[in-house]
Amino acid sequence: MSLTLEQLDRDGAILEAVEKVSGDTRAAFLGKAVVGGAALLGALAATGSAEATANHDVAILNYALTLEYLQASFYTEAERLGAIRGRLAPIPPQLGAVERAHVAAIKGALGRAAVKRPAFDFMGVTENNAKFLKTAVAFEDLGTAAYKAQAARIKSPALLAAAISIHSVEARHAAWMRFLAGAVPAANAFDQGKPISEVRSIVASTHFVVARPKRVSRKKPKFTG
Amino acid sequence: MFRVHCGKEGAVPLRRQRAKGEERLDGRADAAASSREQFVARAIVAGGAVAAGGLLVAGWPRLGTAAPSAAQDAKILNFALLLEYIEAGFYSDALAKGKLSGELLDFATTVRDHERAHVAFLKGALGNGARRKPKLDFGQTTSDPKSFTAAAISLEETVIAAYNGQAGNLTKPTLAQAAKIVSVEARHAAWIRAIAGKDPAPNATDSPKTASQVQADVNRTGFVRSSR
Repeated sequence: MSLTLEQLDRDGAILEAVEKVSGDTRAAFLGKAVVGGAALLGALAATGSAEATANHDVAILNYALTLEYLQASFYTEAERLGAIRGRLAPIPPQLGAVERAHVAAIKGALGRAAVKRPAFDFMGVTENNAKFLKTAVAFEDLGTAAYKAQAARIKSPALLAAAISIHSVEARHAAWMRFLAGAVPAANAFDQGKPISEVRSIVASTHFVVARPKRVSRKKPKFTG
Repeated sequence: MFRVHCGKEGAVPLRRQRAKGEERLDGRADAAASSREQFVARAIVAGGAVAAGGLLVAGWPRLGTAAPSAAQDAKILNFALLLEYIEAGFYSDALAKGKLSGELLDFATTVRDHERAHVAFLKGALGNGARRKPKLDFGQTTSDPKSFTAAAISLEETVIAAYNGQAGNLTKPTLAQAAKIVSVEARHAAWIRAIAGKDPAPNATDSPKTASQVQADVNRTGFVRSSR
């Protein structure tokens, strides 16, 4: 477990995220090696193919990965489209960087067992402030509830430590997005978890996850001119 | 199911601000708390008992040294109960002093009720084994909005790190219960940080703290005057 973040962060996603999140320069980060909460993500990514990822935990990690894909893709698309403006403008880059760091760490832990990123169609919610914010609130509340319900099911102590530390960050995001939306950031004294089946049906109800677009047909198009 | 009710647009623009030194989780709330902290720190260095600045919380259980068990759960929940007593006491004290208004008043009122609910829950779970409420003294940290905000951030951050740090030491059923509390603490932290114009979620993960680290944080605040 003496891997450095640089070694395990092959595509640079974690470092990039950390840089954005912590405002630290990449060089400073590499010097310190532990900053911005990335140490736990590093530990998570380093568990790959160890005993930690027993079959049971693999299923839970892949489930978490699908949710992180959903969140990361949502913020990344919003950032790329550049239509989220004003007071919400900082949200897509900042939360996108964090969710991408979560994706990278979980993928690192799963190695070849990682599920592929599905295709998403956010149907315009990434380019309208009001819709974006509503969706962000929903995603972050959902992410918090999803992690919570899995916490006690995770067998590996290393994975649990990482998952629980992501869980509370999702809760911060939820509270933050609620604050921005003018909703109560902490509506209840206790947050309830949601089981996988419920989370899956909620995600399905959004229709944000779509079948991968078909490859372009090999047939030559008919000449219509 | 997926719908969320978002009423009016957030009233206060969030000033984003890079944290510089704000991440200290040690109750370094304001000048008053800081001098108090220095006082306590000096007392620790001198090896003497703290006469007026707060009593060191001694005899905390050694946590996380053994495999999860019902007995260890009880120790950890009692540790959590002390933190919840401090939080509930802090917000109650701030509200009693009546110096908060607007968003801070809403925050303190809601969060006080949450912390009281956490206290009640933990006391219920512990039954006769529950520790009693310590004597608390929040000094000047509850006397003005600025000090209150800084101390609230420190407290909430400490408690998140404390719960996260114990996750792996709990039995699974108890962990499932504790997880329902820690995310609410995280929401509180993000909420008060947003009100304060600080980044509500500055890190990709919330780092855990060990019981002794949390103990040191709590001791530095001087909030606990006697622990029974």
